[in-house]
Amino acid sequence: MGMQGDFYQLLKEQGYTFGIPTTVETGHTLTNATTILAFKYRDGVLVAGDRRATAGNMVMYDRTDKVLEIDRHSVMAIAGVPATAYEMVRVLDHSFKYYRRTQLQELSFDGKLRAVSKLLKENVPAALAGTGAVVPVFAGYDMEQGSAKIYFYDILGAEFEAVEYAVSGSGSPTIRGILHYLNTWGEQPLSVLPEEQAMVQALRLLTSAAEFDSATGGVNREASLYPVIKLITGAGVQTVPDVTMKPLYESQVVRYV
Amino acid sequence: MYEEPYRWVEAVGNRRQYLDEQFKQGSPVVALSYDGGILLTTVSKGTPKLYEIYDRLALGGMGHPTDLEKLRFSLLEMAHVEGFNRSPSDVTGSRLVKYGIAPVIKQAFEEVYKAPLIVRILVAELGQKPEKDALLTINYDGTFEETMGRAVLAATPAVQTKMMSYLKEQQAAPLSLEQALDLALRAWAIGSLAHQQDEADQQAEAKPQPNNAGSSAAAIPSSDTLIAHLRGIAGERTIECAILERQAPGSSKYRSLKQVDLSRLLPAALQSVVAD
Repeated sequence: MGMQGDFYQLLKEQGYTFGIPTTVETGHTLTNATTILAFKYRDGVLVAGDRRATAGNMVMYDRTDKVLEIDRHSVMAIAGVPATAYEMVRVLDHSFKYYRRTQLQELSFDGKLRAVSKLLKENVPAALAGTGAVVPVFAGYDMEQGSAKIYFYDILGAEFEAVEYAVSGSGSPTIRGILHYLNTWGEQPLSVLPEEQAMVQALRLLTSAAEFDSATGGVNREASLYPVIKLITGAGVQTVPDVTMKPLYESQVVRYV
Repeated sequence: MYEEPYRWVEAVGNRRQYLDEQFKQGSPVVALSYDGGILLTTVSKGTPKLYEIYDRLALGGMGHPTDLEKLRFSLLEMAHVEGFNRSPSDVTGSRLVKYGIAPVIKQAFEEVYKAPLIVRILVAELGQKPEKDALLTINYDGTFEETMGRAVLAATPAVQTKMMSYLKEQQAAPLSLEQALDLALRAWAIGSLAHQQDEADQQAEAKPQPNNAGSSAAAIPSSDTLIAHLRGIAGERTIECAILERQAPGSSKYRSLKQVDLSRLLPAALQSVVAD
């Protein structure tokens, strides 16, 4: 059945299993908690995430990349258990490439969404057992329709399309309200923001999330530590370099009181 | 009846004859290093003959489309499973060829009760550094060869040698993509003309010929002849080009060149070929 171009099926035939449920022993705290966000702006969609990984009140790591490129036109931002999330990204990355190379055409955007939700469904037992819950935001550029799209999921694999923005992670309640306010009563709706303004808003939002959520890392200028921001347009995924974020952060985010 | 060793040797010999016959109408494939990576070129009729296998691997083939598809799928399957289970840098052309498809091709060739695979295959691998680039060719009997810088597939060893020596002679300094494309297409035309010549010789063989010295080994046609041949053939066929680009963004380095790219890169004399 190799002719279907289904890489996940191929892996399963080889004995691979994804999302084995394991119960957490008491006394172990898993790494989770974060803030990720995605919103549509003038040229496409912006996806951003902080870089902190925590386990309980421990900061595990301050340079995590939670906004992961899956292919030239799609990105998955992850909140939840990194081990499962990274594995999901690996499966998806190979699945999309395998499909493109075997079938000699790109997997459709809807096909990609299905693949994400299929993996999340397979992961339900692990998610419920407490060792593998992942709540991703999937954003990309649908080349066929020529438009940017954002989808978010719950841990059971239900898929929701976000009209303007989506957030996930422990810091998300804080910024969800801000996004709503900005989009409704701000000077201009998010969808018409030019690239630079969109980046400034993303930095401000993550800084706000870090203000109220200890599990979200903000900007650490001493360590030159900036969040990860990726822009997806018709031309593909582009990662915003730190040198671009630094002046924006210093001139438009920091307030010296 | 093949149990006796003699019969088996005879049967394998017949197979060679049968297979050699199958490639006569085939279109040669040329792979060439250029300053930014590796270029693969052929002129195809109907079905494409150049494919992406993995991040840094490309495939070119001659022969029966169905057999080629079968091997393409097994290459894709092996490469992706290996890339997932280990890492993308562990997927190498030489392992895929030596332990993957070459044994399959050899087995199919020697199992004289079954149909052989009608294929000649070229696998191009883009290394992390130019000196790690590798080109592998596999014959229909499973013998493989690894070369650097240039490789070709053609109907007969004589034609292959002729194309290779032309490439060797012309490819002195590192080439730009335009130069490589120009040279690769000329080499393709040499191969294609030699195929036609062999065919004509064979038909003429029925009648006694005074001067029958195997024309495919004859002198290289002039540059104008080669260009004229390409222009003549390009009407009903398509020039197919793919590159493995070292500087390409992202992990996948394979890109097939589209009409727009070709019209920019092709030598002036061939511009009209892609224009319509």
